[in-house]
Amino acid sequence: MSDRTLAPEFVRDGGNFVRPIRALRLLNLVLPPAILANFIALPWYGDFVVQRLLVEVFTLFAIALAWNLLAGYGGMVAIGLHFFVGIGSYSLFAVSNVLHLNPWVALPIATACTAVVALISAWPMFRLSGAYFAVGTWVLAELARIAMLNIGWLGAGAGMPLDMISTFDRWSRNAYVYWSALAVGAGSLALAVVLLRSRLGLALVSVRDSEAAALASGVPVGRAKFALWVIAASITGTAGAVSYISTLQVTPDASFSLNWTAAAIFIVVLGGIGTVEGPIIGTFVYFVLREAFAGFGSWYFIGLGSLAIVTMIVAPGGAWSLISRIKKIDLFGIRRRMPAVAVQPDAPKAS
Amino acid sequence: MLRTEGLCARYSLLQALFDVSIAVAPGEIVALIGSNGAGKSTLFRSIVGTVCVEKHSVLLEDKAIGGASERWQLKRGIALVPEGRRLFPSLSVLENLLLAARNGRRGAWSVERLFEELPILGSIAARPATALSGGQQQLVAIGRALAANPSYVLCDEVSLGLSPLAVNEVYALLGKVKSAGAGIIIVEQNVSRALSESDRFYCLQKGRVVLEGRSAEADRASVAQAYFGV
Amino acid sequence: MTTLIETLLNGLLLGALYALFGLGLSISLGVMRMINIAHGDLIVVGAYITSVVVQATGVHALASLVLVVPVMFAIGWTLQRVLLNHVVGRSLFAPILVTFGLSIVVQNLLQEIFTADTRSLRDEYISQIGFDIGGVSVGLLPLLSAAVSVALFALTHVLIANTHYGRQARAVADDPSTARLVGVDDKNFFAIVTGFVLSAIAFAAVLYAIRTPFSPSAGPERLLYSFEAVVLGGLGNLWGTFFGGLIIGVAQLLGARVSSGLGPFFGHLVFLMMLLARPHGLFVRTVR
Repeated sequence: MSDRTLAPEFVRDGGNFVRPIRALRLLNLVLPPAILANFIALPWYGDFVVQRLLVEVFTLFAIALAWNLLAGYGGMVAIGLHFFVGIGSYSLFAVSNVLHLNPWVALPIATACTAVVALISAWPMFRLSGAYFAVGTWVLAELARIAMLNIGWLGAGAGMPLDMISTFDRWSRNAYVYWSALAVGAGSLALAVVLLRSRLGLALVSVRDSEAAALASGVPVGRAKFALWVIAASITGTAGAVSYISTLQVTPDASFSLNWTAAAIFIVVLGGIGTVEGPIIGTFVYFVLREAFAGFGSWYFIGLGSLAIVTMIVAPGGAWSLISRIKKIDLFGIRRRMPAVAVQPDAPKAS
Repeated sequence: MLRTEGLCARYSLLQALFDVSIAVAPGEIVALIGSNGAGKSTLFRSIVGTVCVEKHSVLLEDKAIGGASERWQLKRGIALVPEGRRLFPSLSVLENLLLAARNGRRGAWSVERLFEELPILGSIAARPATALSGGQQQLVAIGRALAANPSYVLCDEVSLGLSPLAVNEVYALLGKVKSAGAGIIIVEQNVSRALSESDRFYCLQKGRVVLEGRSAEADRASVAQAYFGV
Repeated sequence: MTTLIETLLNGLLLGALYALFGLGLSISLGVMRMINIAHGDLIVVGAYITSVVVQATGVHALASLVLVVPVMFAIGWTLQRVLLNHVVGRSLFAPILVTFGLSIVVQNLLQEIFTADTRSLRDEYISQIGFDIGGVSVGLLPLLSAAVSVALFALTHVLIANTHYGRQARAVADDPSTARLVGVDDKNFFAIVTGFVLSAIAFAAVLYAIRTPFSPSAGPERLLYSFEAVVLGGLGNLWGTFFGGLIIGVAQLLGARVSSGLGPFFGHLVFLMMLLARPHGLFVRTVR
């Protein structure tokens, strides 16, 4: 029976990808909601420490995902992605403080602000490409950091507190921050999956395979990259904003710190650049390593850096590529398959 | 004798050459003919080290040398004149030759000898390599390969884009290289010219050798059939 | 008015030092098409090595160059052969990410060995001498730094134009695959190039260390200034990098006059604006 894009339960696709069999697919349907329900219910059975950690996990995951979208799918390595962490968090604090808005009402506004800044910054940034783009975004972040350091009404070096947060009791504050972090994390994952299954996703993958060929085939490369830039920025800005609601104070040196991008890079490189599953594994590994070794100070960072270097040289596809070598799984159904040609002895030969 | 034996070459998932066996002896000119995409350039790249192939598929004086890097093949005396000449724009003609001479083997083809054999070089020596006519570029490109004193010269697309006068000059030079004792393989789009200038020929089609023989005895009809695959 | 001229002059002199920071980056970008994110951190490494040599031998920082330059050459050569040769030309982001990791490793190693405290090589001789030229005061050290910078740029120019290595560098920059065809030994050659780059960095590091207190985390800023100089000057353009550096230096000092903390900010701002106005750099290399 010839294969078409609508596959039966079990399909061998050119010997490459194996789609889950029916029982597994049932699990696929049941498991994520179960996990999600567990996470949602956390504030009622988990303590504040765990919640704070998970806020860090979800927000950093979202930022790593955004960096991966840019680099792994858009071919744009942005060392200065933390620019948007700062923009997002400062927007939230400024809007909430000035307009006396509930921080969670201000959050979508912060996302919108970040998107606008992304739009504008695309103008100089897209003049650069490759490594120049990578460092150019870093210049942008530095520019913003120094600017914020010197703007008095935004608190300069000491930064700003979040005035409106005091209207919430401790449990509510922690719970709402936790849920927004969860929403950002899960939402950005969902967004990424939807994106990659869409036409934009197809365009991006074609650009990744061969930009020249994509251009020649009429793929709107420039527009695709621009859209990706704005999307990644928005995710990063929102995640940053939520993260700083959690810390209650935003400062230039912290929110525009390279450490955000460094952690994202590490997560993506280790997990698997250019895959959706990669950042998930990477985030998990990052936090396990952090909890275990951060006490070693500089040696922890030396270890992380060395691990990233070795991974890039030895296994540039990250952990997920190693797993894929054993068994190719497409967890989120992003892989596109060509309809296989029917190979039957009596079928007419393709001309 | 430089020869390939059952050479298979692939570009990641695409196989470009299937079981190709050709040979060239010192002092002879062998022509490779075939339509675009038949695998001629790939064959050259496989011999010279750009495309990695199995060790025993390329043999020089019966020693297996397949898969070694371009530098090693050059040191063993195999030089490629690439398709499109590919002279270095940031270097003058003289500098192009000096670079190759310094990195290649010692031998009869010194830079001074090249200037003797090709008087034209004298007048263009200081020009940037791209400020030349197609014919001049091809002469310089062959000169650059010769500066490394190879025993075997692989010349990809000898007459592409050249005026008839320039083509004659290039083949005159190749004749001199042949008399000096080197073995030459040429890729030539002009089939009649290829057959008239070479001692033997191979015809490639879709990565396979489909016809070979002595050029003088080549039957036009069978060549055409092999070339076009009809 | 004289203070404006003084600022401009000092900006040019500072810019010459930034140009020297950028020289190495320009070479490795041009020849190997590779950006070394750890470039700034390697400048800081040079500064620390100088500091160690000075403390151990008691010689003046400038005299220590005799030792520091060869050591840095060796570091560059080894770095390229052991690590960077594995990623040159491989993919778009492999060199960026590997050198990014390297940057983090270097910064933290320096911190582990030398602590996070700032260090200074300020001496009592050179940094105190100044001249008065028509009412404008200029220090000896900035003049010396600028002179060294010009000298190194000129040396690089001569090497590229007249030596075999220079020809190889130009050939590889033009067409890496054909360069291999004419026998250029990538691995060894790139190692020598990186050794040369680090030697240039050694000069920059010593001059920088005498002038400014430095710490393990000072690297990234040096990288950004180097980068801006290179991009403003036009990619692949050696003297362009020099003038790019001058521009950044002047912009920074003019900005510092407006407000003392805003020097680098103005440098970045001028960079972005120039990028918008002339995306290919100010001195476009003629397209072949």
